[in-house]
Amino acid sequence: MEQDLQAFTAEVRAFLDRHAAKAPDRTAFTWGEGDDSMAYFSAETPEVERRRVQQARDWQRTRHQNGFGWITGPARYGGRDLTPIHDLLYDAVEAEYDVPDTGTLSVVGLGMIGPTILAHGREHIKDRWLPAMYRGDALACQLFSEPGAGSDLAGLETRAVRDGDGWIVNGQKVWTSVAHHSQIGLLLTRTDPDAPKHRGITAFLVPMDAPGVEVRPLRQMTGGADFNEVFLTDVRIPDDHRLGEVDGGWTVALTTLMNERATVGSEGSGPVAAALSPQRLAALMRATWTWDDRALRARLAELLVDAMATGHLNALASRKLRAGITPGPERSVSKLMYGRNLTRAAHFVADVLGPRAIADTGQWGTYAWSELLLATPALRILGGTEEIMKNILAERVLGLPKEPGVDTRSPFRELRRSGAGQGGTE
Amino acid sequence: MSVSTDSELEELRAAVRGFLDAKSSEEAVRKAMDSTPRFDPLVWTQLADQLRLPALTIPEEYGGDGFGLVELGVVLEEMGRVLLCAPFFSTVVLGVRTLLACGDHEARARWLPGIAAGRVTATLAAAEDSGSWDAAMVSTRAVPSGEGWTLTGRKSFVVDGTTADLILVVARTTAGPSLFAVDRGAPGLSAEPMDALDATRALARLNLEAVPARLVGGEGLAGRTMSQVLDTASVALGAEQAGGARRCLEASAEYARNRYQFGRPIGSFQAVKHMCADMLVQVELAEATAREAARLADEGGPEFPVAAATAHACCSRAFVFTALENIQVHGGIGFTWEHPAHLYFRRAKSSQLLFGGPAVYHERLLDRLGI
Ligand SMILES: Cc1cc2nc3c(=O)[nH]c(=O)nc-3n(C[C@H](O)[C@H](O)[C@H](O)COP(=O)(O)OP(=O)(O)OC[C@H]3O[C@@H](n4cnc5c(N)ncnc54)[C@H](O)[C@@H]3O)c2cc1C
Repeated sequence: MEQDLQAFTAEVRAFLDRHAAKAPDRTAFTWGEGDDSMAYFSAETPEVERRRVQQARDWQRTRHQNGFGWITGPARYGGRDLTPIHDLLYDAVEAEYDVPDTGTLSVVGLGMIGPTILAHGREHIKDRWLPAMYRGDALACQLFSEPGAGSDLAGLETRAVRDGDGWIVNGQKVWTSVAHHSQIGLLLTRTDPDAPKHRGITAFLVPMDAPGVEVRPLRQMTGGADFNEVFLTDVRIPDDHRLGEVDGGWTVALTTLMNERATVGSEGSGPVAAALSPQRLAALMRATWTWDDRALRARLAELLVDAMATGHLNALASRKLRAGITPGPERSVSKLMYGRNLTRAAHFVADVLGPRAIADTGQWGTYAWSELLLATPALRILGGTEEIMKNILAERVLGLPKEPGVDTRSPFRELRRSGAGQGGTE
Repeated sequence: MSVSTDSELEELRAAVRGFLDAKSSEEAVRKAMDSTPRFDPLVWTQLADQLRLPALTIPEEYGGDGFGLVELGVVLEEMGRVLLCAPFFSTVVLGVRTLLACGDHEARARWLPGIAAGRVTATLAAAEDSGSWDAAMVSTRAVPSGEGWTLTGRKSFVVDGTTADLILVVARTTAGPSLFAVDRGAPGLSAEPMDALDATRALARLNLEAVPARLVGGEGLAGRTMSQVLDTASVALGAEQAGGARRCLEASAEYARNRYQFGRPIGSFQAVKHMCADMLVQVELAEATAREAARLADEGGPEFPVAAATAHACCSRAFVFTALENIQVHGGIGFTWEHPAHLYFRRAKSSQLLFGGPAVYHERLLDRLGI
C-alpha cells in the first residue's frame, strides 16, 4: 500500500509539474504585495464569474484527461477506482500548486451529486451524466431546500404527480447554489402526501433546461448572487430519470447529505486559508501598530490555537483512514470548527482594523476583509446549521435520545407547517 | 526509539486501563488525597513492576524501554481519565524529560536506571513564588563550594516536592540560570506541602539554605533546557488533560441518557444535548492536538514546538470547559463533595494554570510560531 501511494504521489507531482506552477509560499507573505481579496463567495460581475467557471471546467478537464478527474470513481464512468486515501493525497499535493479553484464544480456536483447518481441512478443516467460531470462538461446543483423546508428537509412540498411514463412537477426550491451554471439538478419531490413525511418523497435528476424550470438569482447578504430560487412549473420528467424507488427518495437524500458533510469543511485553500495564516495576521497587526496590544495578542493566539487544532484533527482523520481505521466524528467536528474559525478571524481582523473595516480608505489588505465578514454567517447555516450538526453529534456519537415528536409517524398532510404559501397548496 | 503500531498502542491502552480500573477507583483516589504521602506507594511499585511504566520513555542504554511521547501520551490519557494519584507526572514527565534534555550523560547514567526500575522518584523545582517557569525569573542562588555547589532560596509549586528522591533545581550562578541535582535528604533542605486546589497532585514549597548540590549540564544552560522541557511537558500534560476531558464527556452523556425530568431523559432537551455536543467538539480537538504533537515530537518534526504550544492551550481549555459543563449537566448533585465532578474541575483548573496559564501559553505560541 505505502509503495503504491508513493508511486501515485509521484505520478500526481509529475502531472502537476507539467500543467501548473508552484503556488507562492504562504509563509513568505509580505504585507502590501499580491492579491488582497478575501472573498468567500464570488463578488464579481457575471462576465468575470462566467470566465472563472470556464477556467474551473478547463482545469477539471485537464485533470480528467490525466486520470485525476474522479480518483475514487469506477473506471467505467471515467474514474480511477482508487481509494479515498489517494483522493486526499491528490488534494494535498495539488494544494502546493497554483491551479484554478474548482469549488463551483466540486463542492456540490462532484462531491455530493455524483456519488448519489452513482449509488441510485439507472444505467443510462450514469452513462450519460457521470463522465460528463467529471470531465467538467456538466455542472450539477442540489434542489433540496424549499422556503418551508430547510433543516427539516423531509418537510418539502414540491409535488410530483404521475403522468403516463413520467411525472409532472410543481413547486419551488430556494438557496440553490450554482443552479445558474448547472446542466442538471438533483431534485427532491413529494409523491405521497398521505404517507409519513420521510416515506412520501421521490428523487429525480432534472435537466435544468427542461421546459418549466426557471432559475432566478437570489441576492445574498454579501451583495452577490451565488445561489438562486428555482421555480418548477409543470415540469415533465421521464420516470427513467428517477433515482431510487418511488417514495424512497429519503434514502437518496441521505446519500447526498452524508457526502455533503464530507465535502463542506474540507475546502481549505485560496484566500480563505490565508485568512487563518499566522504570518498574514501578524503582518496585519504590525501594519496597524497593534502588535504589542496584549488583549489582541491573546485573541490572536486563541484563534490560531483553534485553527491549528482543526488542522490536527483533519490530519488525525486522514491518518486513521490510511491505517484502515474508520474515522469517528472528526469530519463533523471540523465542519463546525471551519465556520467558527473563519468567523472569528473575520471579526478579529475587523476589530484590529477599526474604522478601516467599515469604509474603504484604499489601503491594501484592509477593507477587503469586509467581504469575509459578510460571508461567514453563511458558514453556520449551509450544509446543515450549527444547531442541527450539534443534534447529530449528540444523538449519533453520544447516543443521546431524540426529541420526542409526532412528525415521523403522522401523515405528511396533517403536519403543521409554517411560512407563506404553506398548507393550502395541496 | 521504538515505534508502536496502532494495535500495539491499543494493547498498551488496554493494559493500563485494566490496571487503573483495579488500582485507581474513585475510592482509591479519595483515600490517596487524604493520606501522606498523597499516593499509595504499593500501587507505584506495582505500576513499575507489572507494567514498567516509569521505564517507558527512558532510552534502553539507561535501562528503559525506549518509547516516545506517543506511547507516553496513551498512558497519560488513561491516568488523566481516573485522576491517578502517583508521582508519575513529576518523575516520568518533569524528571525524565529534564534529564534527557540537559545534555549531561553522567547525570543520566546516575539517575535514569533507578527511575526506570521504579526505585527513584524525581521532580523539577523551577517556579518560585511568582509561579513562573521561565528560567530567567529564577532568584534562587548557587555558589561554588568545594567540589560542588550550595543552593539558597525558595521554590514553590514543586510537584511531589515532599516525596521526590531526586530534585532538579533551577538556580542562578554568575553564568545565569543553571540546573542542579539535590538529594531529598540533603542538609539544609526542607519541604512542606502547599494547600492546593487539586489534592490529587501534591504541590510543595522547598526552602533551601546552603543545600549541597551537583551541577547538571553546563552552567548557564538551564534556559535552553527548560524551554525544551516545557514543550514536551505541556504535550504530556495535554494528554492527561485530554483523558480527563474525555471522562467528563462520558460522565455527562451517560447522565443525560439516564436522568429523567419532565418525564423525559434530560439528554432529549436540546440545551443539554448541545452542551454535550460542545464538549465532544472540545474533546476531539484536544485529543487531536495532543496526539499529533506527540507524533511530531517522536518524528523530530520541525513543527513540534508550535504543535506543543497548540496542544497546551487547546487541551487546557478543553478540560476546563468539559469539567465545568459536566457539573452543569449533573445539576445539584454535581456540586456535592460526594460527586467526582469537582475532582475533575479541580484537576482541570490547576493543570491549566500549572505552567503559567493562558497569558503565558498564548505568548509562548506566538513565540514558537516565530511571527
Ligand atoms: C450560502 C448557502 C448556500 C446554500 N446552498 C444550498 C443548495 O445548494 N441546495 C440546497 O438545497 N440548499 C442550500 N442551502 C440551504 C441550507 O441547506 C438551509 O438554509 C439550511 O439547511 C437551513 O434551513 P433554513 O434556512 O430553512 O433554516 P431553518 O431550518 O428554518 O432554521 C432556522 C433556525 O432554526 C434552527 N433550527 C431549526 N430546526 C432546529 C432543530 N431541530 N433544533 C435546533 N435548532 C433548529 C436552525 O439551526 C436555525 O438557527 C444553502 C444555504 C446557504 C446559506
